[in-house]
Amino acid sequence: MKVRSLWDWWNRFFFKPESPIPISLFRVLYGTMVIATLVLLRPDWMAWYGPHAWVSLSTMHQLEGGTRLNLLAVIPQTDAWIETFFWIFLGSAVLLTVGFLTRFNSVLVYLCLASIQQRNLYITHGGDTFLRVAGFFLIFAPAGAAFSVDRLIRIWRGKEGVDIAPRPPWAQRMIQLELSLMYFATFCWKVKGAPWLQGTAMFYIYHLDEFRRFPVPSWLLGPMMLKLESWAVLVLELSLGVLIWVKAFRYKLLVLGLLLHLCLEYSLNIPMFQWDILSAYVLFIDAADLRRAWGWIRNRRALSET
Amino acid sequence: MEMQKTKYVAINVFLIFHIVAIACWSFPIDSPLVTLLNDQTRAYFRWSGLFQGWNMFSPLPKSANTYVEATIVHQDGTKTTWTFPRMEQLTLTQRVFKERYRKFAEDLAREENDGLLPDVARHIARLNSTPSNPAKTVILIQKWSFIVARPDGSYVPEPWDQHVLLGYGVKPEDLK
Repeated sequence: MKVRSLWDWWNRFFFKPESPIPISLFRVLYGTMVIATLVLLRPDWMAWYGPHAWVSLSTMHQLEGGTRLNLLAVIPQTDAWIETFFWIFLGSAVLLTVGFLTRFNSVLVYLCLASIQQRNLYITHGGDTFLRVAGFFLIFAPAGAAFSVDRLIRIWRGKEGVDIAPRPPWAQRMIQLELSLMYFATFCWKVKGAPWLQGTAMFYIYHLDEFRRFPVPSWLLGPMMLKLESWAVLVLELSLGVLIWVKAFRYKLLVLGLLLHLCLEYSLNIPMFQWDILSAYVLFIDAADLRRAWGWIRNRRALSET
Repeated sequence: MEMQKTKYVAINVFLIFHIVAIACWSFPIDSPLVTLLNDQTRAYFRWSGLFQGWNMFSPLPKSANTYVEATIVHQDGTKTTWTFPRMEQLTLTQRVFKERYRKFAEDLAREENDGLLPDVARHIARLNSTPSNPAKTVILIQKWSFIVARPDGSYVPEPWDQHVLLGYGVKPEDLK
């Protein structure tokens, strides 16, 4: 009986049709994150990935062996080919963001993103990793079902009405699981380290010159505050990893998570990391609430225009 | 619309496999079963790009400020110093664009990444050579200053220490 109810729960969780609005909105945010990542890398495309890059392709193969999906390893190693690869990648990311040939571009963006990370694994941060693994599951999602050129074309051709049909959300669930697993795993890693348990971890992080962005107020740097901050990070990461699945806590935790990431964005220089992670928060918002929020914005705009 | 039975079964197999494998890959679980599963899935994870690690600032946050610089000895005997972009010395905008260099320099100093050092030395040699005065030797040096809390909880930077990561004799073909 228990196995049966577990199986029912599994089916509801992964297969009960739901509105594809959150995953479509995630696609827009995801594409924007990929574009921003590429733009920030632009001055160093050749330095990191070119024929005379910091790490040669042969060294990369030696150090990180095995067969890997890496388009950069199969195209000719010339500046022109590698530049072309990046422009195609950027173009595909733009098309994915606007939702044109969504499935094809989600595959292409994933292949290109995985390729640049496989080509040089020594310059990637957690945000890049999240984009890569989320991009893999995005391929399987109905990401072009809303907010997309594809949908406009389908409506124009009479293949689709105004209503957006619900779809099984299993691919969206995998991205949600990845996000919660990321928080829970990082919590598990942190509790293995004495500085996190003793509450001194934030002292080290705040004093890493290379990460510093804007000045942190001095009252936050006292021993007691540092303890509270270190422990608060642990509690929040555990909660975002586990309790986010409890509907009653979800929005409160999303707000706290947003605050955490904004604080990190203010104090630490890890470009794109916070935004890469935050982009997936939209997957935890009910489609009905997203519609309500959109309606509220439209009303406000109409009021301000009259 | 009912999902086809074969498609439904295939998706379930896909989901179960990925959930189990990703969990084993991500969590610091010391178990022979997890090690076995990771060994079995490693090739697929590497190939597909699903490998992942979430140990940001953990289990131990970095406890020293570090940077990597290179001393370049040129053919005429002169010495110059080249430093990887140091975030604390850049403007806010520059930091956003150059942060990858911080990560790269951090990874360079790890013992398991020693294999990267000759490539890096060659690249620095190319950056610092002219046809009339090419680089002859590149010495990669890591500098560090430990972050230590004083008894009252305050912080005063410790003196910088250093060690040589690699001394590399530049060959003519390295500069092409």
